Amino acid sequence: MMFPYLFSPLKLGTVEVKNRISFQPHLTNLAVHNLPSERQMYYWGERAKGGAGLIITEEMSVHPTDMAYEKLIDVYHPEVIPGFKKITDYVHQYDSKIFAQLNHNGQQCDGSISRLPVWAPSPMPDVLFRETPKEMEHEDIEEVASYFARSAIFVREGGFDGIELQFGHSSLARQFLSPLTNFRTDEYGGCLENRLRAPLKFIAAVRKAVGKDFTLGVRMCADEMIPGGLDLLQVQEICSHFENSGLLDFMDLSIATFYNLYLVEGSMHTPLGYTIPLAAGVREKIKLPVFCTGRINDPVMAEKVLANGQADMIGMCRGLICDPFLPKKAFEGRLDDIRYCIACNQGCIARIGMNKLLGCVQNPAVGREKEWGEGTLEKALVKKKVTIVGGGPGGMWAAKMAGRRGHDVSLFDKNEELGGQVLSAMKGAGRDEFGVIIRNEKDQVDKAGVKVNLGEVMTPEKLLSQKPDVVIIATGSNPKSYPVGGADGPAVYNVLQVLNGEVTGGLGQKICLIDYDGHQRATATAEFLTNQGKTVHIITSSLFIGAELGPTQDLYLSRQRLLQKGVTFTPDIAVMEVSGDAGAKSVKGFNVYSNIWDEWGPFDSLVLAMGQKVDDSLYMSLKGKVQELYRIGDCVAPRKVDMAIWEGHKIGREI
Amino acid sequence: MPLKKLHILVVMRSCSDPRPPARTITRGAGICDRGLRWMVNPSDLSALEEAVTLKDRLGASVTVLAVGQERADDLLRLAHSMGADQCIRFWDHGIENGDSVANARILARVIEILSPSLIFSGNRLVDRGDDPVPALASAMRRIPCLASVIELRISNNGIEATRKVDRGGRQIEKAEYPCTVLFEAVAIPRYPSINAIADAVSAPILSWDISNLGLPFWKTGSVGSSLQLVEYGIPRPDPARVATPDASMPAFDRIISLLSGGIKAREGKMHTGTAEDMTDCIWQILQEEGVAP
Repeated sequence: MMFPYLFSPLKLGTVEVKNRISFQPHLTNLAVHNLPSERQMYYWGERAKGGAGLIITEEMSVHPTDMAYEKLIDVYHPEVIPGFKKITDYVHQYDSKIFAQLNHNGQQCDGSISRLPVWAPSPMPDVLFRETPKEMEHEDIEEVASYFARSAIFVREGGFDGIELQFGHSSLARQFLSPLTNFRTDEYGGCLENRLRAPLKFIAAVRKAVGKDFTLGVRMCADEMIPGGLDLLQVQEICSHFENSGLLDFMDLSIATFYNLYLVEGSMHTPLGYTIPLAAGVREKIKLPVFCTGRINDPVMAEKVLANGQADMIGMCRGLICDPFLPKKAFEGRLDDIRYCIACNQGCIARIGMNKLLGCVQNPAVGREKEWGEGTLEKALVKKKVTIVGGGPGGMWAAKMAGRRGHDVSLFDKNEELGGQVLSAMKGAGRDEFGVIIRNEKDQVDKAGVKVNLGEVMTPEKLLSQKPDVVIIATGSNPKSYPVGGADGPAVYNVLQVLNGEVTGGLGQKICLIDYDGHQRATATAEFLTNQGKTVHIITSSLFIGAELGPTQDLYLSRQRLLQKGVTFTPDIAVMEVSGDAGAKSVKGFNVYSNIWDEWGPFDSLVLAMGQKVDDSLYMSLKGKVQELYRIGDCVAPRKVDMAIWEGHKIGREI
Repeated sequence: MPLKKLHILVVMRSCSDPRPPARTITRGAGICDRGLRWMVNPSDLSALEEAVTLKDRLGASVTVLAVGQERADDLLRLAHSMGADQCIRFWDHGIENGDSVANARILARVIEILSPSLIFSGNRLVDRGDDPVPALASAMRRIPCLASVIELRISNNGIEATRKVDRGGRQIEKAEYPCTVLFEAVAIPRYPSINAIADAVSAPILSWDISNLGLPFWKTGSVGSSLQLVEYGIPRPDPARVATPDASMPAFDRIISLLSGGIKAREGKMHTGTAEDMTDCIWQILQEEGVAP
């Protein structure tokens, strides 16, 4: 076997987990009316079917004052039990174990949802929710402990194999433990012994409620990574106290807080396995099985972490959202078939934080496992001759799905390699991993029996001469040719020209980038230019540069790098005209709030990230001439890659 | 004891070939017997080589004992082709699942019956590591036992052996006959001639069972064992040290250290050149990383 450690069992309390892969807790927003839903059953069940030994559910609220997000399960009333039973029965049929995560978010909560004051150890607002909490009275602490216990009973009744208490990045317990959030002067604040009192009370209450024969663990924040907060040394001591209580069976770990959420959900710009040193640090001090989570998205790395003794269990979250069958494929040695997560955070983190249903750029079936999960793809009743033009992510997905259904599929692309705009996007600074999208699909397209024709420009005549039954146009989009007055002048380029090295005549040294994108297209290009030693100034109409990067947790580190590399910013400006010769370009615009006009320059050249326009000429010329004609992705309307894949997947299933 | 009358008993064991492919069982803690390649334990072969060398030099007689089912005949025939005078295979279904003490009773009884002047075997099993049976059997017979022997000198009064000890040290010890010597896999076993191999095919192999030993059945096998297997498991791996962010550093620096891929920044380099240049280059990198000497 390729991964002997990864596929060895592990005992967590009274439960034996068949392998070392745990599908880690994360918001799904799939609950309905704050009760467990059928969608969740299929969602978690799919990961169990895919071979994960352990599933830990998303956090569930143990108390009415804990309403951080609208769609959490309220676990403190018995109405949850029937739904839990359905979920746990479904997961158990695949020989996986399932734990429930219980949490009270404390100050990291939204009182406008619950219409109740937020509770916390001290009246200090959280940086994200910015709501001043009520300082918990002693009876409040007792009440939360009793609600933890009450919830635990319903969890056990619901057929779960264990409970994980969230003491990590977003939790009331961490707020008690941390000197950053606990300013109390009574027996719950001050020295570590006092700060431990409330969390230990919660643990003891749950242990008493579930009994000794039920698995119970804690998810602890390994390092708050903020001045004045908990660091690894203190956490090691806290974990030792937890272990010595004799009430726990395992120690799951998370990192950071909402001050630095980008560390909780590390994006493409953070290294793979970036939390391993912290897990190893905790594991040195305690004997409880320790979990490690954080961009461990492939079995080779997971195996190494286990073999090195740096953790006992590998937590995978986005890796299994992206490919629920990663464990099974790893077990069978089919590494080529694994669809690796790229940590773009666009489909998962960016959506759940905005109360949208969980998704994944590369896996349209997320949250729709009942309809689109493994085993739902049916062979086509009639084999059709399908021609797809455009080998970007949308075209590849359409080809793959149609090919798997037994259609005779031909895929055409004018470039010499598949990938479409991803080929350019992956050239942006730090965006290399984006190219994994191509790697993930290229093999699958071949395996689906698709005939791939590269370097072939498709004309309407050529296409019609092949007499296809179905034509899918996925020709994508191009940068707008004239997005602003003077854009046709000298030394004005778009981001794709820059990234693809198609700039004629040189960019010069001093560059102005006009950002109407707010996303990686602009910031990664700016960084790409600074890496070449250029001086870059960015002008945007938004409040700040990288306005779209917040939800994906890319904002902080992107801005940090841009600032470190000397990039300067001018926000709030609607650019109306660019003018001047190469070497003396100027930008004219007005402040969107004050309406005062201004001018910037001189610059050697200008780079525009000012939007895309559809490339639909082929589609328009075929309209009415083909029996079944569809278009997908950017050539319908320029959007992000998730929609191209979504539409490609959908059309591939439907034709 | 006159050297001419030296009688050497060599205990030979087969073991699983530790090289892949091997499949695991018992939740990853054991190796699946089915489809596994079997081999003669290398240090046992070295012990046999030492014995037949003494036979060649001093005219000692060599008896080889193997414990196991019919498959063990193969290794006895190999021993015969290498020069063993007598081969005994012991097997009885009643001895299965015995602990080391129960198994040592069998060997002790064989030693008692054969009364050899020397008992040779290998120091370790290549698959399982230590096997305490020869040492325990010697203790039961109150015979001295020397382990990790790399060199043996014979005299009329006894033996003098050079042993490997801690930290690369060597120890020379003396013992009187009879005694047990457990060899390291130092001596290279001879390659038997084709005639010897042909002779060994039809050579007699004595087949013994519990009745030949006169041991009561309750002293062997699982019945005679004091130890009972409760569970197999995989030990928790010892952690490989990784640099953890120094808690005394400011939070900002701790973050930088984590995001740089650890305390030491990740490095990727391209090296080009001929195969020879590349070999030197890789060697140099391994030295810099402290992997190579």
